[in-house]
Amino acid sequence: MITNCNVVLGGIRIPFSLPHFVREKFAEYYHKHSSDIQPPSTIEKREFGFILLKERVMVRHKGFKNVKDLGSFLKMIVPSDVYYSSAYYERPEEKMEEKGWMGADLIFDIDADHIPTPCEKDHDKWVCKKCGAVGRGVTPRKCPGCGEQKFDEKTWPCEVCLGSAKTETMKLVDFLMRDFGFSSEEMEVSFSGHRGYHVCVESGEVQALDQMARKEIVDYVIGIGLEPRFHGLGERSEKKSRILTGPDLNDSGWSGRIAKGTYEFLLSATPEELQQIGLRKKTADTLIKHRETLLESWKGKGPWGIIKDVGVESWKKIAQHGVEKQSAKIDTVVTTDIHRLLRLSNTLHGKTGLRKVMVPITGIEHFDPFKSAVAFKEGTVSVTAADAPQFRLGDETYGPYQEETIELPTAAALLLLCKGRAKMVE
Amino acid sequence: MKTLDIKISDLTNPEYKSILDRAEKRIEEAILLGAVTEQSPNNDIEIPSFPIAVMMAAATADSFIKRRYALAEAKRISNLLGNENKSNITYIANNFNWKIKPVKDPAVSLAYDFTLHYTDFLKNATVFHDKKWKLINRRMLKGEVYLTKSEAARLLEEEVRKHIEGKLDIKVESLPEAVMNRINRLKQLFIEKRGEIQLEELPKEVIVNAYPPCIKELYDTIASGRNVSHIGRFALTSFLINIGMTTKNVVNLFSSVSDFNERLTRYQVEHIAGERGSRTKYIPPRCDTLRTHGVCHSMDDTCRRVRHPLAYYRRKLRAIRRKTPVEKIEKLRA
Ligand code: SF4
Ligand SMILES: [Zn+2]
Ligand SMILES: [Zn+2]
Repeated sequence: MITNCNVVLGGIRIPFSLPHFVREKFAEYYHKHSSDIQPPSTIEKREFGFILLKERVMVRHKGFKNVKDLGSFLKMIVPSDVYYSSAYYERPEEKMEEKGWMGADLIFDIDADHIPTPCEKDHDKWVCKKCGAVGRGVTPRKCPGCGEQKFDEKTWPCEVCLGSAKTETMKLVDFLMRDFGFSSEEMEVSFSGHRGYHVCVESGEVQALDQMARKEIVDYVIGIGLEPRFHGLGERSEKKSRILTGPDLNDSGWSGRIAKGTYEFLLSATPEELQQIGLRKKTADTLIKHRETLLESWKGKGPWGIIKDVGVESWKKIAQHGVEKQSAKIDTVVTTDIHRLLRLSNTLHGKTGLRKVMVPITGIEHFDPFKSAVAFKEGTVSVTAADAPQFRLGDETYGPYQEETIELPTAAALLLLCKGRAKMVE
Repeated sequence: MKTLDIKISDLTNPEYKSILDRAEKRIEEAILLGAVTEQSPNNDIEIPSFPIAVMMAAATADSFIKRRYALAEAKRISNLLGNENKSNITYIANNFNWKIKPVKDPAVSLAYDFTLHYTDFLKNATVFHDKKWKLINRRMLKGEVYLTKSEAARLLEEEVRKHIEGKLDIKVESLPEAVMNRINRLKQLFIEKRGEIQLEELPKEVIVNAYPPCIKELYDTIASGRNVSHIGRFALTSFLINIGMTTKNVVNLFSSVSDFNERLTRYQVEHIAGERGSRTKYIPPRCDTLRTHGVCHSMDDTCRRVRHPLAYYRRKLRAIRRKTPVEKIEKLRA
């Protein structure tokens, strides 16, 4: 997906030019596979965009009558990246204002960039474009050295990070199926080919949703604005005494998720973790002391109100923490943007040489992106790796590499070349 | 509403006469009373008369008439929905192609009356600011959002208001002469009544002497601390709000009643005043409805000439205004 950070003045910031070898391989891929391209539905109403591999520029506002024309075009231009609009337009080739927006699919992007992981320090780097300051982990908003906001980022499609992205994707799919009622036929889950997953809902009922409505869907999924009282957590008076009640594990929707999040938190929380969410030390200790009773209580009406010293405000904080854990960390901007371009399935990702591939909805858990997305299975090539973390493709593990020349299978070499972590041997 | 298959050229056919009459009447009432009070008992007239009236109002190309008419129709629907009759809600919702279903499960129906597809919910709920209208705070299962009937009614009012406003913006192409004559008649009527209408729309003092007998009786009962029926409360509150009394004063009036609960009363009054959620005010029920519910007592001469308590008030007000200067002059003489 084209995200804001690399859209600069309407163009795409392209960090460096790709070696000829990459161009060759991409050309080979589109010559062999142009007929495997999976077009979006109603192809003639979609806008297409491409990053030209050689010239490194973005070409957009293209339209195609059918998938065959699209295939021939790909063969001809050999792009590093292929995008299509989630929107349907009357005139996809016109300027934005004149396209005639007819509706848009409901799309979600789960990117490892939005999920904090312990390993990003190990594999992600940033370099300030102005002063050259270097750091590890998440890119800061401003350079600590000079205050400038432009960086070269070096992220990595890491297995642990992609694992967290997958967990979030599974949570999202659960929301979409159980709460929103989408069938697996209406949804397409895919691995982006780089650092995340996409979920696209193509269903007549979502096409007309405006940005406000899409924002409400985003808030629903990321748990924003939830008030526990609307999900049964609160006090009510009964015969002169006040009774604290809350949701049940078997409840549907957010009520059940609050219960589940609360259950899971209390299962393992340490006193420190309980204090971190804003509980007083005494309350935290009381909860820990009664952990067994609390966990047992789910067989009945739940833990709410069974300990006299833990009041409704404390339970709200615990529930709120549960909400955070149960929510799905999606990129909020992508879903609310009704003109978004997103990567086309079965095309190559210019940052990895991996394919964007569909993930079977029933098998997300067992999906292996580093196996399924490998596009090149033959040949080897020698490259000089500057600095690369250890990685796996298929069943082979490679690296870590530090200033060394190695002979690698095509896919592994492409990954390093595309990520800018290696050069061709002269 | 559902698109009715009416060709503009058909409008001159004799069988359309009663529909056109009814459509004209709707706008006329909107101009004169700020409300559409009556209803044709014949659905074959009533239903098509609405889109035709909308088209005629649009054809006046007069923003005053259009706004006054849109408000009057929205009020009418609010009123119809005001008693939160489930079949009324379903009936109107179906006209907007809402995916709405009554809740059948007896355990769930204690708390909710309807399920509504989330797309229909979001289309209307995103303009409301109260936290309870956030999707995340709703019970939702398989795309169905659970609603009470008053919540469904509120969403429906919003749909109606948007619908009418949208329809009135449409540019109407040329209409048959007979229809144009009706439209010109309405415009003429509006010009004649313009002074009065603008006067009416100004905030004005509440003239107790102009209250109809039914309202006077309700008012006196409440003021003396006794209780009245639910419909009586609704009639009194909506009447007072519509003649310009502030919600604060209405709440104060109820404060003498023995079981007064300020928070609840304020909520109810603000709801009727349209200050909560939906932007449309409720209008009092018509005389015949009040009669059915035993609220109409000791009718007087003016009563016999009106079908609505608000019409009574306006008529009486005009009479009082006409008289006042004379009395003043007489006073001066004396
Ligand atoms: S006729 Fe109408 S206004 Fe007069 S007392 Fe009866 S209900 Fe009230
Ligand atoms: Zn710097
Ligand atoms: Zn990682």
